[in-house]
Amino acid sequence: MNSSLTVTKTATFLFVGLVIMVLSFYVNSAIAAQPIVIGGSLPLTGEFAETGKLIEKGMKFWAQEINEKGGLLGRPVEFKIYDDESNVGKAVTYAEKAITVDKVDLLFGGYPGTAARAVMPVAEKHKFVYVSMGGHMKSFEQGYTYSFGAPPLMGEWWYEGFFQWMETVPADQRPKKAAVYTMNNPVGASLTGSIQKWTKKLGIEIAIDEKYNLPLPDATPLIMKAKQLQCDMLFANGFFGDGVMMIRAAKALDYNPKAILQGIGSVVPAWIKELGKDGDYVFSGTSLFNKLNFPGNDKLNEYSKKEFKIDGYPLYFGFGYAWMQALAQGVEGSKSLDQTKIRDWLKSNKIQTIAGSMTFDDKGLPEPINFCTQIINGQVELVWPLNVQTAKPVYPKPAWK
Amino acid sequence: MNSTLIIQSLISGVMMGSVYALLGVGFSLTWGVMKVINVAHATFGLLAAFFAYTALQAYGVDPLISLVVSAPLLFLIGCTLYHLLIVRITSAKAVIVSSMILTFGIAIILENLMLLLWGADPRLFTTSYTSKVIIIGPFYFQYPPVIGFLMSIVGVTLLHLFLKKTYLGKAVRAAWQQPDASQLCGINLKRISAITFGLAVSTAGAGGLGMGLLYSFEPHSHNLWLIHLFLVVIVGGVGNVLGTALAGVIVGVITGLSMAFLPYQWVNLLTFGLLMVILVVRPQGLFQSEI
Amino acid sequence: MKSDQFSSTNSNRLYQMIIPIVLVGLALFPFSEPPVYFISFVFWIFLYVCLSSSWNLIGGYAGYLSFGHVAFFGIGAYATAMFGKIFSLSVSLTLLGTIPAGLIASLIAIIVGYPCLRLRGPYFAVITLCFAFVSQLTVKNLEILGGADGLWLKTMDVSVEINRTIFYELMLALTSVTVLVSFLVGRSKFGAGLRAIKEDEEVAQTMAVNAPRLKITAFALSAFFPGVAGGIYACYLSYIHPDVVFDVNMSILQVLMALFGGASSWIGPVVGAVSLTVVNEGLSTFVKAELARIIYGCLFIVVIVFMPNGILEFFSRRTKRIDN
Repeated sequence: MNSSLTVTKTATFLFVGLVIMVLSFYVNSAIAAQPIVIGGSLPLTGEFAETGKLIEKGMKFWAQEINEKGGLLGRPVEFKIYDDESNVGKAVTYAEKAITVDKVDLLFGGYPGTAARAVMPVAEKHKFVYVSMGGHMKSFEQGYTYSFGAPPLMGEWWYEGFFQWMETVPADQRPKKAAVYTMNNPVGASLTGSIQKWTKKLGIEIAIDEKYNLPLPDATPLIMKAKQLQCDMLFANGFFGDGVMMIRAAKALDYNPKAILQGIGSVVPAWIKELGKDGDYVFSGTSLFNKLNFPGNDKLNEYSKKEFKIDGYPLYFGFGYAWMQALAQGVEGSKSLDQTKIRDWLKSNKIQTIAGSMTFDDKGLPEPINFCTQIINGQVELVWPLNVQTAKPVYPKPAWK
Repeated sequence: MNSTLIIQSLISGVMMGSVYALLGVGFSLTWGVMKVINVAHATFGLLAAFFAYTALQAYGVDPLISLVVSAPLLFLIGCTLYHLLIVRITSAKAVIVSSMILTFGIAIILENLMLLLWGADPRLFTTSYTSKVIIIGPFYFQYPPVIGFLMSIVGVTLLHLFLKKTYLGKAVRAAWQQPDASQLCGINLKRISAITFGLAVSTAGAGGLGMGLLYSFEPHSHNLWLIHLFLVVIVGGVGNVLGTALAGVIVGVITGLSMAFLPYQWVNLLTFGLLMVILVVRPQGLFQSEI
Repeated sequence: MKSDQFSSTNSNRLYQMIIPIVLVGLALFPFSEPPVYFISFVFWIFLYVCLSSSWNLIGGYAGYLSFGHVAFFGIGAYATAMFGKIFSLSVSLTLLGTIPAGLIASLIAIIVGYPCLRLRGPYFAVITLCFAFVSQLTVKNLEILGGADGLWLKTMDVSVEINRTIFYELMLALTSVTVLVSFLVGRSKFGAGLRAIKEDEEVAQTMAVNAPRLKITAFALSAFFPGVAGGIYACYLSYIHPDVVFDVNMSILQVLMALFGGASSWIGPVVGAVSLTVVNEGLSTFVKAELARIIYGCLFIVVIVFMPNGILEFFSRRTKRIDN
């Protein structure tokens, strides 16, 4: 008996298997759902799992809360969350799966920025409202009408608050020279513009302006160079891993600039938990803040104390919650699940979230956010704007302990 | 260009490279002796790092001391894995290929078990010596990399002595050089292979700890580590313990020098580019393949 | 799996009947108006079949395990995107650029392959891996290619269904051609030469096989299809980033798919790519995230322990035994 028939048999066998599989997907999707289903994907495994899981918890906390109150439009809400394995291509297909197979009523916002950048055009084509962090300013400039950043994670705005505060510092007390180290990815790229603009305005010389590709092998030479050139201001625009290396190297080399700004790595709970005292006095920005006096924040903090054993909920947990709040208000405001109606309502009305009240412009963005945070004694404090300040900024930075 | 910065960059590179070498020797050994490419090698290292992290957080045990428990444990895991799984693929047509698929599966399982057990948050070793530093002239030696460097020297030397001086080690080398003849001489190839695999996995534990001293780690970090492993082992010559160690230092020097002379943006690119050149010029690695 | 098993006229006739039916069926699938996701999902299957089949030309037939094949995919994606951007073309015209993009990928494969193909076994694997990183980092560092921000492409001004159907049909066409080429190479003298190289390169050369030339031809050919696929993918996704189109995981996955199915025949990569993609999708749909990954990992172990030479060989041996 020749074996080519076997090959055919195997192939047929597998083909039939595939057909059955596809059919079972069909059947699965055909079962009608009573609750409002909100679908999409998050990176629950792989590179971005840490943040993905925080966002998931924020969304689920929101769902639990709204279901206790009787649901959305009187219907309970339910999530259909896929794990995209931190893969952008998968995030796109899962968005399509949620929309066309699960026939979800609403789409939730994804992470990270590269995934959001690729999902935004899909949401636009399918005419689905997509409330997410977005992929920084460039993604909001592509002319999408269904995308909202409520609030966005906007690198371009991240240091705005810090610089506005710095402007109030007497000129002779401001730093003179800055060392800027930026990771070479979309987050890093979106941070540098405002640094250029503001340092020029405030008369701060940029002595070092370097990019690096992740992973950073070692931060010691970078810090040594900054120390040699006597830079009294350090921008460490990186994620957690490289951010930590910068701080540890700075401490080891006893390099003590007047101000350290750590763009995005310092906003995760691990920064305080793992780095302890060494992570203190680092400035950063934020889009929402757990001590702000907006309704809901206290409940989230209470939950975080129980769930994560930390004071003040983590940023990404808040993001997950706030995006759902925004979407829900669009639904309740327009009293419908029609995506275009939700969009139009969101574009023309003011919404209330844990990040405050906001209205959206043509790009789907709220007013620029100018929060500046500093970590003081193991607590994230809001140091700018003045009307919401929770602590006075510690400046210049005290010596390393 | 200022010379302090160049030398400091070189120091950084060498420290870093030596830890890669420690992580790499075991990888090189299984590859050389058994023709098994253990893609999960770095994952075992990561497992040891997480183990040490828990010991440090819960009982204040220094990461180095936790190795006393984790290294033998990993040795046992390695031996068991060999008897349960690896041994079954040694009869495949292409052991190298099969072993990569098999251990790729193991790596995925371990990574996600770690994700379940420890969560996705990044971790750091924070010990009493974390930000201590030795200053010699204008140069700074941070404690954690120095400890990693010393660990690497001790680890590589021990492995080298084991292979050269002990009966068991000689048997391993014999099994690698002359599999058939050594079997005739009464060397039990299966047993030797199990021991080699266990040994390799436990050196991965030491290497993982070294990486943990230098960098933060999370359940997916092993993917990144693995790439550097491949580089170090290939440059050093597969199966060559001392070669792997030297290659670690060479990779470190390349990285260090490019950090000193180039914009940082181009450092990683140059490292990979230069390794390509090295491979093209010396297709068998820099050092002759032998244990 | 040996090449001679396709010699039987009996089975050829069977193929001649089944394959056109399957192809026509697949081509008509989008017109049965399934949810758009299924079109996209099958698009992904095609993409992986195309990638692992083209990888198989050099990796499976000649035994040169290229671990950096995603580089050609990425090069194709960027070449196409830049082609569209520089001449500010519409999407349909940009898609024409995928062919030159594939040729550019082939050209780069020749340039890189010339020195690299002298390396054997794992050394070749690592040098190609390095090459993938070098190309990824180069694109990331060059501002004119969009740098770390990536590139946005134009989107088609048609409905989602039509848009996805167009990409589906294009990818189906490309994949069919790839598999056909892989099949023809497998039966040709060229393919026999490659297999001889895999068995023993020295012996092959003494038997008047021009090994360097065959290898570089196979390498260039195996870079062409991923290049075109990359271009189609770029237009499909409409946003590309070096981390996305030069993703090393993709490189490793296409190798695993080919080996999983059985790398020595044309159908192995097809079987591997289809089964792994479908199983992975099923797991992600029905099982909790981490658990899904763990089961996925177990799958590799089970398959390799019980079928050390790929699924296909396992099945063919099994049936052979029954038939006897």
